[in-house]
Amino acid sequence: MTLFITFLISGLAVGCAYALVGSGFVVVHRVTHVVNFAQGSFAVIGGMLASRLITGGVPHGVGELVAILVAGAAGLAVGAIILSRPGTPPFVALLIGLGLVFIALAVNILVFGQNPAPSVPIVQGAVDILGARTEWQRLIVVPVTLVVFAGLALFFERSDLGRAMTATASNPRAARLVGIGYRRMGLAAFTIGGLLGGIAGVLIAPSQQISPYADMALAISGFSAAVFGGLSSPWLTLAGGLILGVVGQLLQGYGVGSFQTQVSLLLMLAIMIIRARALNAQEEAK
Amino acid sequence: MSAWTRIRSWSPYPEIAAVAIVALVIPLLLPELTFYMTLLLAAIVVTSLSLFMGYAGQAALGQGAFVAAGALTVGVFTVQWHLPPWLGLVCAPIVAGLFAALVGWPLLRLRGHYLAFGTIAVLLLVQALMGVVPLFGRGIGLNGIPPLIALPIEDAQTRNATLKLIYVVIAVVVLVVSLLVSHRVVASRFGRGIRALAGSETAAASAGVPVLGSKLRVFVLAAVFAGFAGALTAFYFPFVNPESFPAEQSFEYVIMAVVGGLGTLWGGLLGVVVVGVLLRLLNDLASLPDMPAILGPSLQYAGYGIVLVLVLLFMPKGLIPTITSAVQRRRSRP
Repeated sequence: MTLFITFLISGLAVGCAYALVGSGFVVVHRVTHVVNFAQGSFAVIGGMLASRLITGGVPHGVGELVAILVAGAAGLAVGAIILSRPGTPPFVALLIGLGLVFIALAVNILVFGQNPAPSVPIVQGAVDILGARTEWQRLIVVPVTLVVFAGLALFFERSDLGRAMTATASNPRAARLVGIGYRRMGLAAFTIGGLLGGIAGVLIAPSQQISPYADMALAISGFSAAVFGGLSSPWLTLAGGLILGVVGQLLQGYGVGSFQTQVSLLLMLAIMIIRARALNAQEEAK
Repeated sequence: MSAWTRIRSWSPYPEIAAVAIVALVIPLLLPELTFYMTLLLAAIVVTSLSLFMGYAGQAALGQGAFVAAGALTVGVFTVQWHLPPWLGLVCAPIVAGLFAALVGWPLLRLRGHYLAFGTIAVLLLVQALMGVVPLFGRGIGLNGIPPLIALPIEDAQTRNATLKLIYVVIAVVVLVVSLLVSHRVVASRFGRGIRALAGSETAAASAGVPVLGSKLRVFVLAAVFAGFAGALTAFYFPFVNPESFPAEQSFEYVIMAVVGGLGTLWGGLLGVVVVGVLLRLLNDLASLPDMPAILGPSLQYAGYGIVLVLVLLFMPKGLIPTITSAVQRRRSRP
């Protein structure tokens, strides 16, 4: 039972990180219909920059905040490039995103080197939960993620910018008629995507070693989580992330082997194929 | 539409023959064949991938899965089952094609970014299988793949050099076949059907084009050539392991196809040459003395990224269509 709790908790923590990266995909896709490949790169930037700043003497809190803001700026830059030509089909936008992943990787290697960032936990120590010893660092990922998701929901429902983005998502033409610019909303979405990726990176970097090469794995895990919500529902993305995280950690914990990524890939494929008709209808509609 | 009509009325056979001759002369002038061989293998994969991506209007980001299927066929046939090497070469494209038909049937129902991620997923799962299945070498890989032909040459060095030259010649032959097949596909009634797919699937379907079946056929065709390339990779290097087919390589194929121009006969080949040579130059630059070790990978990835982004933003159709239309504009000027 203790073992089960241990795996469950680490699964929830891993799953939250998936969900945070995935929510970035959702925010960008809802508004622009673009799948931003660079979503994993934002998490790398956030995680590695936070570690670099804090080992360099910047106090906790400030270092993390700066790292998240830089990831947001990276999101804005990626968005500015992907949206620079109006009328770019989503298929081309996806490939531009792939190109930007490579550029981000080149920059990350130059700035941070090729090795994983040293771990600088935001909170020290560990706690017993039903007999399972758990590090605080792993534990805080869960409430932070819940707060971020709640904030995201509030933002889209209550704030002017969020409602304008939702309007653009559901009908870009009508939104433009009432003075909401597609490009401005798109850039805002990419920036939020960058911030969400940065938060994910900052949270997971201390417990999972992150190197510049983690970008693709992070992007794929996040996309897998986002597929649960059809790339449009943040809460289903959270559920998806948690399912992927827990199933993967339980399999690993009970000695089946370390197949976290493969489990995500198989579930992602299964969901996409089962829901192919609905997902395609949504693609065709745009 | 005019570009298509032009392609159909125009016969590329003299050009294909010229390319074949040049491709056969180059290796005689080179001191080292490995770089040339990797370009040839990429050209085989990319020519048919360009066909699939251009006509289906979809991105396949995991083409390495089918290269791996071909290489594994050779590896398993020779190292594990001790069958004659030529049988491996013959069966590799068949196995890769069957594998593509198997995964393509459910997978090709997906579109756009779902298919893009789906194809990456297939590649990563193939890599994972290579890491755990004993038949595939379970992580260690399959080493010591025997030569395709047992040459009666005493001196090991001469024998190896001759063998590598033979593999290069086979690769050129396969590349020429892939160009011929691509041309036939483009020029056929079936080709017109799949071209309609790139425009609108719904419109193509209502005009009587079997959407899933057509896409699946081009997908399988691309996998057959990828399988051939994989078999030649296995013989040339001569080993196969889970690191042999990284995801970056599959992305590189897509970058090459996009740079050259999707759905064109020569786009794949031109993209391979341009991107391949550019990366080689960057690599040479990074390995100059006094350069930090970190510069190599960094320059390589920056090269991929910058080329892809610039081409997609400023000539989204790729090099070949951009060049052809520029030439035409000049000609039509009085």
